[in-house]
Amino acid sequence: MNRYARWTIAGLIVAAAACGDIATPIRIDFYEWRLIVPSTTGPGNDSLTFHWPRSRLPVRIWVEDAANLPANVPSAIAAWRTAYLYDEFDAAVVSDSSTADVIVRAGAAPGIQFSRVRLPSAMATECEGATDLDISDDHTELRLPVRMYIDPRSDPAAPGLAACLALTTTHEMGHVLGIWSHSAVATDIMFAEETVTAPSERDLETAEVIYHVPANIQIVDRDGGEVPLE
Amino acid sequence: MLLLVLLVSAGAAKAEAQMEYYGRLGAVGTGILLRDVIVEEITVRPSIAPMLALGASLPIGPRGYRVGLEGALASAKFHSSEDGTDTDLGTLRTGTLLLNLEGPLHRSFRWRVGLGGLKYWPSDKDGIFRQGAPVRLLAGAGLDYRRPVLSKWDLLTSLRYDFHRFTTEELKDRGFSQTQGVSRVSLSVGLSRSIR
Repeated sequence: MNRYARWTIAGLIVAAAACGDIATPIRIDFYEWRLIVPSTTGPGNDSLTFHWPRSRLPVRIWVEDAANLPANVPSAIAAWRTAYLYDEFDAAVVSDSSTADVIVRAGAAPGIQFSRVRLPSAMATECEGATDLDISDDHTELRLPVRMYIDPRSDPAAPGLAACLALTTTHEMGHVLGIWSHSAVATDIMFAEETVTAPSERDLETAEVIYHVPANIQIVDRDGGEVPLE
Repeated sequence: MLLLVLLVSAGAAKAEAQMEYYGRLGAVGTGILLRDVIVEEITVRPSIAPMLALGASLPIGPRGYRVGLEGALASAKFHSSEDGTDTDLGTLRTGTLLLNLEGPLHRSFRWRVGLGGLKYWPSDKDGIFRQGAPVRLLAGAGLDYRRPVLSKWDLLTSLRYDFHRFTTEELKDRGFSQTQGVSRVSLSVGLSRSIR
């Protein structure tokens, strides 16, 4: 083998080592996240999909100092953040409720007249939650703030209450970030009567996929300013 | 470094007299770190990074060959791109250590090849670096051009290429298999203690 052949072979080996891409996993293990509502333009249903636009990150969340919310809300944010590889979603607790995108309160949700769409409450035994979305009649706008309620409906000393508050907060945070439906699988935290304590791989994959499909709901700020869809 | 220390201690004063030191400043461009598909294709890559390299070498044999160690640091923003939109993912620093073999090529040009490691230091332990940043095996090659500027110092212009295969524990846990080939090219200028 002459000198040039040796160099050519060496070059080809180096080129082969340098080329080649990482193999991407196929994301197919997710569930329906869209909110299915009667269409406003005729018979049939409308499917609403939402994610927070990057220009609004981190989402500003105001948290009432009750029902262990100041500890549970950051934990819930951190749990959902593990879904994301590319900084698709982030949230931060803020002190001023008047400028918050999301208001989290302890206690039962008020009457349904407050909001146009209420995502069905999580129904763990010791507590329950609700997330209210103020969606415009034509299903094109989400008016801020989103309101989240965590209701410790049992005795504060009841066994299991602390765990219930934590998992219900994580469940409702799933609604806040854009999972507007419930999973049909009991091992998912977005199951309507959730029992697991953390988002499952299906939950996380669903949360991830949401941020890579176009939203069809636009945010409207409290002052009426619209945040463009991505 | 151990090798260099051993060589110097073995040859003591003579080796010290023949040791070349250099420092270079320049910029390094890095190819795609990661290619993913969720709905659209997503790529992750660092921006062009300023870099600082320091090195030293000793002669091995009479034909102008030298062996040396070189360490380099670079720091730049890195970002993901999806459907024409870039997202800032923070700052990504890299440190490299290469054991180099170099030799004469033509007049003031010298070639070099090296093997070593590359360490990533992201500013945030998050996203693809949530479970930490890896050290990767690094192979490199380059071309140096020297021009005397002072009695004992040369102006050193270097063009370097290196590659490694990239992945992280977080990516492996997410089901990414194999690794991404990453190429880097740098151009730098510096000063080298003359080896003439």
